[in-house]
Amino acid sequence: MSKEHKSSSQSRREFLKKVGAGTAVAAGTALLPETALSQTEERKVQYGMLIDTRRCIGCHGCSVACKAEFDVPLGFTRSWVEYVEKGDFPNVSRNFLPRLCNHCTHPPCVDVCPTGATFKREEDGIVVVDPDVCIGCKYCIQACPYDARFINPETGSADKCDFCFHRVSQGSPPACVETCIGRARIFGDLNDPNSEISRLIATNPVSVLRSEQGTEPNVYYIAADHSDEHQAREGQHIRVTTHRKQLERR
Amino acid sequence: MTALKMTTRRDFLKLGAASAAFAMTGGSILTQAREISFQSGRDYSPTTGKERKAVPTACWQCVTRCPEIGFVEDGRLVKIGGQPDSIRTEGKLCAKGQGGVSQVYDPDRILYPLRRVGKRGEGKWKRVSWDEALTELAGRLKKLRDEGHPEKFMFHYGRMKASSSKLIKSVFLATYGTGTIGNHTSICEGGKWTAQELTWGGHYDNWDFDNTRYVLNFGSNCFEAHTNHTPVAHRLARALADRNVKMVTFDVRLSNTAAKSSEWIPVKPGTDGAVILAMCHEIMARDLYRGEGEAFLEFCKVTNAADATISEKVAALKAHLAQYTPEWAEKISGVSAGKIREIAVEFATVKPACLISYRGAVAHYNGNDTERACQMLASITGNIDNPGGRCKAVGASWKYPKGPKDKPKSKKLNILDGFKGQAAFPTHHMSHQVLKMIRDGSAGRPDVYMWYCYTPVYANGNVQENLDILQDESLIPFTVSVTPFYDESATMADLILPDASYLERWDWEDMVSPNQVAEFYLRQPVVKPLGEVRDFKDVVCELADRMGFPLGFNSAEEFVRESCNMTPGVKEAGGFEYMKAHGVWHDTNAKPRFYSYKKLIKADALNKDGVILDQATGVYWNWHKSKAHSEEEAIAKGYTHTKKSYKGYVAQKIGDAAYSGFKPDKVNKSGYLELYSILLEEKGFGPLPTFMPIPEHQNMKADELHLTTYKVNVQAHSRTQNCKWLTEIYHDNPAWINPVTATARGISEGDNIKVRSPLGEITTKAKVTPAIAPDTIAISHHLGHWQYGRYASGQKGPTGTDADQELQRKWWSDYGMHPNWVIANSPDPINGQQRWMDTVVSVSKA
Amino acid sequence: MELNWGMPVILYLFLGGLGAGAMTMSAFTFLRSGGGGFGPNYFAEARYGALLAPLPVMIGCGMLIFELGSFHAGYWFKWINLYMTINLSPMSIGTWLLTLFIAISLAYAFTFLKRDASPDDSFEPMRKILAWMALPVGISVAIYTGVLLGAMPARPFWNSPVLPLVFLFSSLSTGVALILLARSLFGNSAVAESDHAQSSYLLSSTDTVLIGFELLALFLFLLFAQLTVGDVGHAASVILFGGTSIQMYGMNLAATFWFWVILVGLLIPLAIELRYVVPRLLHQREFALPRVAEFMVPVAILIGGFVLRYVVVIAGQVTGPIGI
Ligand SMILES: Nc1nc2c(c(=O)[nH]1)N[C@H]1C(S)=C(S)[C@@H](COP(=O)(O)OP(=O)(O)OC[C@H]3O[C@@H](n4cnc5c(=O)[nH]c(N)nc54)[C@H](O)[C@@H]3O)O[C@H]1N2
Ligand SMILES: Nc1nc2c(c(=O)[nH]1)N[C@H]1C(S)=C(S)[C@@H](COP(=O)(O)OP(=O)(O)OC[C@H]3O[C@@H](n4cnc5c(=O)[nH]c(N)nc54)[C@H](O)[C@@H]3O)O[C@H]1N2
Ligand code: SF4
Ligand code: SF4
Ligand code: SF4
Ligand code: SF4
Ligand code: SF4
Ligand SMILES: [Mo]
Repeated sequence: MSKEHKSSSQSRREFLKKVGAGTAVAAGTALLPETALSQTEERKVQYGMLIDTRRCIGCHGCSVACKAEFDVPLGFTRSWVEYVEKGDFPNVSRNFLPRLCNHCTHPPCVDVCPTGATFKREEDGIVVVDPDVCIGCKYCIQACPYDARFINPETGSADKCDFCFHRVSQGSPPACVETCIGRARIFGDLNDPNSEISRLIATNPVSVLRSEQGTEPNVYYIAADHSDEHQAREGQHIRVTTHRKQLERR
Repeated sequence: MTALKMTTRRDFLKLGAASAAFAMTGGSILTQAREISFQSGRDYSPTTGKERKAVPTACWQCVTRCPEIGFVEDGRLVKIGGQPDSIRTEGKLCAKGQGGVSQVYDPDRILYPLRRVGKRGEGKWKRVSWDEALTELAGRLKKLRDEGHPEKFMFHYGRMKASSSKLIKSVFLATYGTGTIGNHTSICEGGKWTAQELTWGGHYDNWDFDNTRYVLNFGSNCFEAHTNHTPVAHRLARALADRNVKMVTFDVRLSNTAAKSSEWIPVKPGTDGAVILAMCHEIMARDLYRGEGEAFLEFCKVTNAADATISEKVAALKAHLAQYTPEWAEKISGVSAGKIREIAVEFATVKPACLISYRGAVAHYNGNDTERACQMLASITGNIDNPGGRCKAVGASWKYPKGPKDKPKSKKLNILDGFKGQAAFPTHHMSHQVLKMIRDGSAGRPDVYMWYCYTPVYANGNVQENLDILQDESLIPFTVSVTPFYDESATMADLILPDASYLERWDWEDMVSPNQVAEFYLRQPVVKPLGEVRDFKDVVCELADRMGFPLGFNSAEEFVRESCNMTPGVKEAGGFEYMKAHGVWHDTNAKPRFYSYKKLIKADALNKDGVILDQATGVYWNWHKSKAHSEEEAIAKGYTHTKKSYKGYVAQKIGDAAYSGFKPDKVNKSGYLELYSILLEEKGFGPLPTFMPIPEHQNMKADELHLTTYKVNVQAHSRTQNCKWLTEIYHDNPAWINPVTATARGISEGDNIKVRSPLGEITTKAKVTPAIAPDTIAISHHLGHWQYGRYASGQKGPTGTDADQELQRKWWSDYGMHPNWVIANSPDPINGQQRWMDTVVSVSKA
Repeated sequence: MELNWGMPVILYLFLGGLGAGAMTMSAFTFLRSGGGGFGPNYFAEARYGALLAPLPVMIGCGMLIFELGSFHAGYWFKWINLYMTINLSPMSIGTWLLTLFIAISLAYAFTFLKRDASPDDSFEPMRKILAWMALPVGISVAIYTGVLLGAMPARPFWNSPVLPLVFLFSSLSTGVALILLARSLFGNSAVAESDHAQSSYLLSSTDTVLIGFELLALFLFLLFAQLTVGDVGHAASVILFGGTSIQMYGMNLAATFWFWVILVGLLIPLAIELRYVVPRLLHQREFALPRVAEFMVPVAILIGGFVLRYVVVIAGQVTGPIGI
């Protein structure tokens, strides 16, 4: 009951924030819960994902893992895979481009949010939405250059990939990462030079999506196919399909 | 800015839970979060942070049957994840596996037994109790049995493996006494198995991607499909990325597997055999067989002499292959001679190399010899049962309760293997001919036709004929469908018994290990069965009791428990309780099994009573286990011509040694890997692999096209379209058609097109894409349901409910078009495999 | 194609601008008459503007709430969260701005409420103060609607500094149109012809200028968009003929824009007004806008103003960054 009592003083936002603290702590050597938060200040974590498209087989394991993890309503996606088909028979290629929120370093979605419901967590740089605060004005949806957001009809709140912080903060990888058949998704702390993701980024040519938008994504790609139908030369076959309700890429 | 706290009840609860969870997991956060484990096998509620209850079980969305973990929140299955402790999947799980949640909560699931009212196929049903249902069924079955005609009960299954197969087939049906048991293997890849039985015996080839350096693929789409999909796919992806393994894929369209291969080589449908033989030609002609290949020839039969020398074998191969030049193959397959040479050389020189093949290669008129040619190519390069090569499958062998000792000698109707002369060795039957045989009637007809995890209407070719025959009550008096879902076949049932979904069932499982070490694993209920549904394995236990031959156990759970507690290894590990807690077990000391054929057989095994040496073949065999009545008869007839002699196989004599060799199965072949088959020779086929042109393809009109069918990564057969998350991704199956072909017919993207075959015509949509050869169109066979619930077809099932909120959010109203309306049921003349990929069609704008 | 922002937002942008324009022009007329430019009739026009201003804005805001995801999910009052914080989000600023606007416009309207309200009643001082406040707030609201859309690089069609100007001029001219319309409907013929002509001349001429500016702004908007390669160019092409044609509710977007916004909403009114303004301007002729024109012109301008918002809101959402 006393727990109950404490709890009422704790909003989901604190859950959003606090659970993260644990992870941040991870970086340092955690001794006691008290020290946890102080540790947080010492070295900030910036979680990120690296998607090695050479390993991606377009299987949609990630798409469905994400759907199930959050029971994402039909018609909406936090995670999806784009198929990029190019060329003429028999020289045809099909590449796969898994997509999710980029947890941008400069997230326009946060800049435009009138309620502060969407914010970038100080402790680990994950961009989250607090459904208790969000009013569903859709401004962030307009502002996101990656079409990563949607209004969840159940909550009426903006929704999107949150890097599975509820798993990450408890030592499990994001759902899509854990199941990834190709082991194409590498998740970790970009601020830790020794993390697998940092090492891979340091030793491979990587790219981000729509860099010209100045958002500085924290989702990186190895060997991403950046071709887009709108940029096809005359007579060149490029088809991008998303398998989302919105079939064309936006 | 401070967070606003809205004081709605919903939020209060959420807040409470959140902090509770935080307090609860607080400690673990600090300990676990140090490193984010790569494979955790855990899951947490995103709203409260509470850990979800994890129940180890096994997938069943496809035949691969991966170990997996069901995650339960508030008594509801909410998520399915991989099993990190599995050596097969290493914790991976494909989209279909994860989509399985819907198999439990499909709003159109059949929740209680249904009895037909009105005419068969009319779709009128009344709910009946299990007692009513089983009283009627047991009555009919017992009558047949008492009258001495158990064979008039036909049981036809689609997917039935491991403990389900043992309990239902080996125990229940065997004790009942019917041998009229059909399967679906001949519409699957049965032809591949027969070809293997004719060459290296017991079927199934495992591909050792962990050790290979080169992959040559004929018609396998293992990145999207394959019977061992996840275990093999994650390994292949790893091999390609981490070890830069080269992969060359022959396919008539750019499958995702082809797309991820180093090279995609389009081939004319049904001509892989020619390419493979030409590669063999090249390798022999250039003496590239030298080394591993040459050494392996010792274990191959290449001439009809049992004791031919290596050089004789080489000579025979060169002589036979001389005709199959790359230039010859180019004319047939459209693959340039240069390319064939190039790849032949690579395949022969990079060691180890893995030759893989699947339904694209075998579901043809000439599939049997295409697969035999694959065996030949792998043999002459020494890539058989070696690390990194094409290996004999290793799976778990369970002990299980065998049921009543005194089983009757089973009787059967001769309707399983098609019409006389249709196929020489239908070792996996001819399910696609069963309904025709029933209509024909000359071999008798079943009084009761029951199908289990099988959809005779939809899965076979010629859908209309299937419907007509099943609907005719004069042909089949009583039909029973055992299924959780109202599929197209269930509409033709008189009685529907609602099976538990696989996430509500008990099983032990045994699927092949990709790493040559057997994995034992369990399927256990993740949630209590919904409504009144019952695991059919429990139902047969009750049926047996009702008919007066109790099986000795009362439930699937009991059967599985006893199996766990009697199977060596599993037993010592802790038996049933261990398996329930961990889901998987393997012998950590076991070495991967390679070169199994090289095992030497001790003399005492050869001197056992009844064991004789067959001079003609060099086979040591025990005639007692065959149908021979006396040693004299056995010797007189010889190993090859004594019925079921293969069951007595002991060893193969090579030189002076006796090896375990390539143990035969289903046919009387020797212990050699038989590239040369006397059995085929005697049936008038080429003893060595030959190229058999596909009759229909020889005189195609200029405007005619090949129709091929295929599988996609997020759907399994006709069985997963009720899974909303999967069908949301893939719910329409337009025909792939090349831009050149389309333009010639005035067809553009999205147009309706007519696809016409001798059987009839379907109208579907066109997907104009360069990812398919101009002479071929491809239509996936998953879609086009007109039943199977609202997510699959828009049709509400007879017991459908409306509570599911998501039904309102279903945003697709296209359900695709099933190609089997225009594909005929016709067998490979050697093995009876349904020729899915041979259909010739004409295509026009609708 | 589904739109995140649909008719409610389109109406909000239109009505918000309309109200802002009406109040601004009312205050403008009111204050300017101090200099005696207008005949005694100025007060009537100012009054129309003042009384009409609050309603459209309040309806517009209602529309906004109606579009909220939270509202759709049954959390009727969650929009109150908008007032729990203030940050640099254009929408947050806009929220406070609109609230301020509504407060001022109501107060301002109140001073005109009495039938016999007149320059020399006791409200006059208050009226003046409020009018002075109304001007900046009105203009801000008018501009803000453009800023709201313009603030996002992810929406190349909107992402132009010129857009706020387009909206500003459109708001003001629709504001004037509203006043003219009201007058042509309720205008009391008691007023002396000369007065009437005098003030309608001033309004019309002002309007003419505003339309001119709006055309100029639109021209620049399209020009820059057109000249930009990549995202913006591609985005703008949906309202240019020969560009990427987009069907919306069965109507081609480009056609809608050119016919309703440019022709009906701007060119025709401009032509008519010029027809009467120029003679007076150059030759001091008697200014007499036929009454039917007095009704038709504002209606056309209002239609144009609405369709402008419609086209812009849709074009902005059906286009996005190209390339990935
Ligand atoms: N996602 C998914 N996975 C599955 C299943 C499923 O339904 N869905 N089913 C499981 C079962 S039971 C089976 S049997 C396996 C089947 O696994 P596969 O046999 O690998 O899959 P298929 O799609 O049946 O056929 C493979 C490929 O053959 C190609 N093909 C067609 N004709 C030819 C030809 O003449 N030459 C060549 N070289 N290629 C050709 C097709 O384009 C297709 O890409 O998959 C198993 N796994
Ligand atoms: N054109 C074309 N046709 C094909 C193929 C192709 O490549 N092209 N592929 C062929 C292949 S490889 C195969 S293996 C066959 C598969 O053919 P089937 O095995 O007949 O098809 P499935 O979809 O696997 O399952 C059939 C039925 O099983 C029932 N079912 C589902 N879950 C359960 C359960 O838990 N318990 C019970 N009792 N029943 C259940 C459902 O009613 C479903 O309709 O299809 C073949 N058909
Ligand atoms: S799960 Fe992995 S391999 Fe499969 S599509 Fe997603 S990223 Fe690609
Ligand atoms: S990707 Fe979109 S939603 Fe995610 S942080 Fe960046 S802007 Fe925000
Ligand atoms: S929808 Fe919610 S999160 Fe997005 S901007 Fe509006 S209030 Fe913020
Ligand atoms: S990290 Fe979690 S939320 Fe984000 S895409 Fe993966 S599964 Fe979905
Ligand atoms: S491969 Fe996928 S569908 Fe098949 S058993 Fe494994 S997880 Fe299930
Ligand atoms: Mo199959």
